[in-house]
Amino acid sequence: MTGSATENEFLRPPSEQEFDSVYRAPSQYNPLDTFRLPSGQDRHYQQQYGDMYFLRLAKLKPAVEEIAVEAWEGFSIAGEHARRVERVLDVRQGELCWVAGTIYMDMPLKPNILEDLTKENYTLAPPPRPTYQDPSNPDLTQIMLEDESGRLRLTGSMLRTAQLCTGAIIAVLGTENSNGDFEVIDTKVPDLARQPRRWERDGVDAAQKEPSKGKIAFVSGLGVTGTSSDTLALELLTDYLLGYSGSTSAGNSGDAPPDASTITRLVIAGNSLGASMTVDANADNGAGKKKAGPKKYGYDASAYNASPITRLDSFLAEILPSIPITLMAGQSDPANFSLPQQGIHRAMFPQARAYCAPPPAGEEKQEPGWFDSVTNPWEGDVEGWRLWGSSGQNVDDALRYLNLADEEGNVGDGAGDMEARIRVMEAMLRWRCGVPTAPDTLWSYPFQTHDPFVMESCPHIFFAGNQPRFKTAVIEGDSPLKLNGADTEMTGTDDDNTSGSRVRLISIPKFEETGELVLVDTETLEVEVVRFGAFAGQQEKQ
Amino acid sequence: MAVADYKKYLAENVLNERRTVTYRSLSRALRVHSTLAKQMLYDFHRNENNKKPNSVNATYLLTGIQKAPETTNGYQDSFDENGIPQSSPYLSSSMPNQDAGADDIAVSSILLVREDDLEDAKATFESIASIHVYSLQPTVLQDLNVLTDVHGEMVTNHAQEDPLEHGKSWGMIQGKNVRRRTAGRPPAPAAAPAAPKTTIPAKRPIKSEEKPQPKTDTEEEAPKPKTEPKSQPEPATKREETPTSSKPSEKTAPPKQKGSIFSSFAKAKPKVKKEDSATSTTSAVQSAEPSGAEDVVLGDASDDDEEQEELFPNTGKAAPAGTRESRKEREEKLKKMMEDEDEDEDEEMPDAAQSPEESNPIDEPPPKQPELKEEMTVRGGRRRGRRQIMKKKTVKDDEGYLVTVEEPSWESFSEDEPAPPPKKKPAVSAAKGKPAAKPGQGNIMSFFSKK
Repeated sequence: MTGSATENEFLRPPSEQEFDSVYRAPSQYNPLDTFRLPSGQDRHYQQQYGDMYFLRLAKLKPAVEEIAVEAWEGFSIAGEHARRVERVLDVRQGELCWVAGTIYMDMPLKPNILEDLTKENYTLAPPPRPTYQDPSNPDLTQIMLEDESGRLRLTGSMLRTAQLCTGAIIAVLGTENSNGDFEVIDTKVPDLARQPRRWERDGVDAAQKEPSKGKIAFVSGLGVTGTSSDTLALELLTDYLLGYSGSTSAGNSGDAPPDASTITRLVIAGNSLGASMTVDANADNGAGKKKAGPKKYGYDASAYNASPITRLDSFLAEILPSIPITLMAGQSDPANFSLPQQGIHRAMFPQARAYCAPPPAGEEKQEPGWFDSVTNPWEGDVEGWRLWGSSGQNVDDALRYLNLADEEGNVGDGAGDMEARIRVMEAMLRWRCGVPTAPDTLWSYPFQTHDPFVMESCPHIFFAGNQPRFKTAVIEGDSPLKLNGADTEMTGTDDDNTSGSRVRLISIPKFEETGELVLVDTETLEVEVVRFGAFAGQQEKQ
Repeated sequence: MAVADYKKYLAENVLNERRTVTYRSLSRALRVHSTLAKQMLYDFHRNENNKKPNSVNATYLLTGIQKAPETTNGYQDSFDENGIPQSSPYLSSSMPNQDAGADDIAVSSILLVREDDLEDAKATFESIASIHVYSLQPTVLQDLNVLTDVHGEMVTNHAQEDPLEHGKSWGMIQGKNVRRRTAGRPPAPAAAPAAPKTTIPAKRPIKSEEKPQPKTDTEEEAPKPKTEPKSQPEPATKREETPTSSKPSEKTAPPKQKGSIFSSFAKAKPKVKKEDSATSTTSAVQSAEPSGAEDVVLGDASDDDEEQEELFPNTGKAAPAGTRESRKEREEKLKKMMEDEDEDEDEEMPDAAQSPEESNPIDEPPPKQPELKEEMTVRGGRRRGRRQIMKKKTVKDDEGYLVTVEEPSWESFSEDEPAPPPKKKPAVSAAKGKPAAKPGQGNIMSFFSKK
């Protein structure tokens, strides 16, 4: 422990020193409206969900076929050449061929709306399950390949290791066996979409920009409850972001948390309100209502607890004068539940609202506000980098399809779990589908004309909020998808290979539990973590 | 500077009133830089404890890099059951035993520590970048979460100080491009004293006019000053016209502003209506209103709501609400009426029965307490019948007074045209009426209240 000079900056009698004002580095911010739903009258829920799958397949089939052609053209086993088949129903028995389609997984524990209806237990939402697999009976899981013509059941040892989930578009190579099942030899995925250059959308050439020493801060799962049990960490976070804590001069000594003035933007990835509050409200009385359900004018003060949102509002209003915020809705937030969740309405933030963009007047595109309440998932450009992130539902749900239990023996927050989460995120990028399991097991808006969950372009930073632990990785477009391999390489951050696409994956932990704030450097995309907490000393031990 | 005062302030608050003072609350109270506040706390702590040991207890904030990545669990292992630190407690936990994910990642920590644990906590750090006093209190804090309450108190006490103006003196990092809308002063947090709040809005327009201007160097800012006035012309201009004249009237406004957004919503409604008649004279009142009016929207995030938010539909909005409300009320009345019919005839209509008593209180009671009757037949799937209603008659009596008499009369009705004449009538005559019956004048809260 070193008693450096900076240590004495504060531990001394008051000085007559003049204090320079510190200014925050500016933020380049250019969000996309990918997930904004039509408003009001134009939002319909009558459509069939099937269209989403067709749209997705139509979009991604050419991409995956292109890759498959490249890989399997001329592939032959025992003199038989692999033939390309257009539709899954055209597959002939005993013939080596390959075909592209959508994965559909039938799993024993997967919620099934038809089953719910026949059993008439549709009044209650099914309780969330840790996994849809039945660990005692893994054979019940059926993997099928589907397109507009029909379904083909896939088998083969390959599938046991290739981790898939409903909604992914892949190409499979193999033959149909005598049971009518398709023996899979190899699979291909669309792989990363084209990655835009930095600053591409801002119309600025990268060379013109002088390198900024900025950082983007990510936090998720603030879990504000409005009670005194709110973590002290939130206070410390506030102090840090406002530049009060830490010293002014020791910013770059290497052992200090980065100078807060370099943080150009805070992204809050969902679950800003504590989930427990809504549960409490429900438990208190039978007629419990969801917190601030839409279309609920007025409230019964006995059933509605405004303190979480009030507390969150004052938190935001306190740091907003200093730092711009992008607030994503999350599972426990007062927004619509089905993905894409629309931004939390700013009427919920009487104080922070002043920093919002003015309400849209007419058709013209308007500038994003200093405080931007955005959708979940959300896509946008920050400091020229493309960000694509969600509040974590997509990862959590896709994970339920994967057989995690057999890795560690338990489905928990172990290291294997975090490894799997990062792999799932990587797989999503390579599937070019950010939310593959919507609309199957994740509630979704029934899109008719396009599937926004398909990634048109590959982000630079891909994040998922509300994960049990922090974890990061870098993936590259060139390296093949090795979900089953022991690819610990991808956790490395050092690299000098700038060709090809590189994506920084970040799983953002729940702040409520870990007190961690994730900072991403806007030049190198290096990640660091600042942890806030209180030292549980002897006082609490006794 | 307030350097001389801080001892007095701290002595008063910490020693006499036995409160907890954090560096931020001190910085706010004395309007000094946060660094200076930290130094003051340190100085006070040292001096007092020199005079009388343990008279003041401190908490410290340590920043730096901790040894074990998993601190939260690490230090818990390092105490045995008796709460006594083991001899070399932190070495064991400093072994990197976690997965390969976090290895290259720089993890710095900001840790709040009690005075007693300071040395223990320091030992968990590999290097310490800074350490400062976070708070002072007369005794050891059992629960560090108390500090959040101190913070909350501080925020509410100083809610009237605009952080955009004062942030500099506190040592806050300032955003150069902060954009804040001029319209819609956010209402005070519920607990805040409302009175001082009102001095702010007058300053606001000047402030935010100045702010966006100098940073036009970045290209995205350029259109800003243009769009902003356009999208919300009304409130902005109103504000600027009456910055000084609005002050006295705003002084009266505060009680309206405090409380939840709903209450301001409720209050705002009648005001907006009044503008119809007296638009020119009430500009002062109006300038206090926008925050209330803006609160109107609390539905889903659909945009059609939002357009109204800024456009101040002061004429249109109240009336539809009124009619909607009265319609609802009417429906309910109708339903009740039907129930009554179902039960039996000869049921007294409560509303109609009350009204005669009220409308002619001086007179001798009306000759007959009218009992409203209904005759009803069901024919061919359709209900028809007659019912007795009260009709009002005004006659001049012998002494020349106008006397209003209610007389029962019969009227036929059928199920198809359930227009409720019996209900309309009392609404006109009865002085009290139901709030819904007066279109447009209704309190909007009654619309929201549970039926």
